Order: sequence, then C-alpha cells, then structure tokens
Amino acid sequence: MVNESGQLYTIEGFAAALLLVFTIYLILGGTNILTPGDTHINDMQIEQLGNDVLAVMDINETYGTGDAYEAKKSPLESYVMTNSSGPGYFRNKFNKTVNEQYDGSDTRPLSFSADVWYRSVTNTIAYYHFADSRKVTGTENAVKVSRWVHLSGKPTGLGSPENLAMRDAPQSVLFEVTLWRD
Amino acid sequence: MARLNEEGQWIILMAFIICIALFFLALIINESTLVGQTTAEGVLDFSKSDIRDLRSEVLRIRDVGYSHELYDVPNKSAIVMDIETIGIQRKSSLMQYTINDATFVTTIHFNNGVTQYDETLRLPE
Repeated sequence: MVNESGQLYTIEGFAAALLLVFTIYLILGGTNILTPGDTHINDMQIEQLGNDVLAVMDINETYGTGDAYEAKKSPLESYVMTNSSGPGYFRNKFNKTVNEQYDGSDTRPLSFSADVWYRSVTNTIAYYHFADSRKVTGTENAVKVSRWVHLSGKPTGLGSPENLAMRDAPQSVLFEVTLWRD
Repeated sequence: MARLNEEGQWIILMAFIICIALFFLALIINESTLVGQTTAEGVLDFSKSDIRDLRSEVLRIRDVGYSHELYDVPNKSAIVMDIETIGIQRKSSLMQYTINDATFVTTIHFNNGVTQYDETLRLPE
C-alpha cells in the first residue's frame, strides 16, 4: 500500500534543489564573458576576403599565343609591371571589389595599404609602397594578405631607390596588402 | 527513541539522481560556446590561401618558362631564390619548387611550421 502523505514535501524539496542548482550555474557562468571581438573570427573573415580579392585580380582575362608572359597577363601583373597604382587602376579596382556588398557600398568600408616586396640586386629583401586608400599603414585589427606576382623584368615608372635596386630580370615579387576597418 | 521513518527513500534518491543529470547537461551547454569558437578558429586558420597562391605561382612560372632547364641555370634559380627568401622573411613559411624539363616533373614544397604540403606534378609539355 502506497502512502501518499508527504508528497508535497518531496516536491517542494525537489523544486528547492533545482532552484539551487540553477542559481549556482548562473553565478559560475557569469565569471567568463565572451564578447564577439575576443574571437578573432572577424579578422580571419577579412583576411579571407582580402585573399579572395587578390586572387580574383590575379586571373588572366585574355588568352593568346605568342609571348607567354604577355598573352596570359593578369590585371594585377600589369598594374605592378606598369606601376599603375592610382585612381582608375589598382586603387579603384581593389577598393570597389573589396567593399562591394549586395546592397550597395559598405557603410564602414575597408581601407588598405599595398606594398611590393622584392629581392634586390644586392640580394636583400626590400619593398616599395605601391598604393593605399588612406595615408596610414593600418590601425587596430589590421590583417595582412598577400599574393605572388610574376614579373617579366623590372617594372616601368618606378620611384627612386627601387628603380636602381630592383633586378632587371624575370622575378617573383610578393604583393602585400594591409586591410583594416576604420 | 521512536523508530526511524524509512518511507520515501526511493523518490528522494531519484530526485538526487535527476539533479546530477541536470547539472551535467548544464555544464555541456556552458562549454559549447568556447568549443564552437575554437573549432571555427581552427578551421579558418588553415593556410589554404598560401598553398593555393604558391601553387598558382609555380604553374605560372612553369607556363611562362623563361628557361626550362634544370635548377642551376641563372634565370630559373633566381626565381627560386626569390620565392624562398621572400617566403621565409615575409610569410614565415618555407616555399620551394623544382621544375625538371627533361622528365616533365614539377614538385612544390610548402611548410609553415604547422602545415606541410608536398605536390608532384607530371605534366607532359
């Protein structure tokens, strides 16, 4: 025979135990606060975007026969070879591609600063500044993306130290872009 | 002393066991945030673009082919030196390649300390 007196006491005790456990869980859970900025996932997403944009610019848009280098030159290669970094060339194309969204331009766009790293005639690694959207080299949470660019010789129209320091021979240079959100 | 009342032991024991089970589930939910974040970071951290970039560059070099002789010919070895030295200094990764025109074998090697990638291409001309 089951005696049913005392059930209410038992249920009350059970509810009290649950309340205690839940309170302890809340208190212990409040000790570590994880904000979205702690994870570096935002930065890595910007890095992926930058790498993808450089890869898109490094696809050759023509196919021809003849001189193998000229026939399958990509836009990025021709910008570096002719040092065309200004508006109408690299700067606008990169800016537009990296800040394009489905619904118009980003309200908080990405800024960038691009350098070209090369191996000089004296066998040292040096760089020259190529282009930027703002005259700084990055603020907080900047990421660096890069792309190898193949050149058929020394680029034309270079500035003063690199004009003499670059080798006038086929070479590969590293095109580095620093990306950040203002 | 009056006899000890031994009724209700079963249900109290069950309540205790259920409390422990709930505590364990709460712990799993609590740690899920950190687990998700570290997993996502680990996936995004893989050097996919570096390897693809190196591969595309080596294929471009092979395609343009300023000289298709073996490793120690000036134009070829200069470009190998470019990629090796700039890769070590700017990208902290070892990137090497060889192009052998006699046997049509191209090998690519990449190592950034965490990931190592080796590839051998046999492409008849």
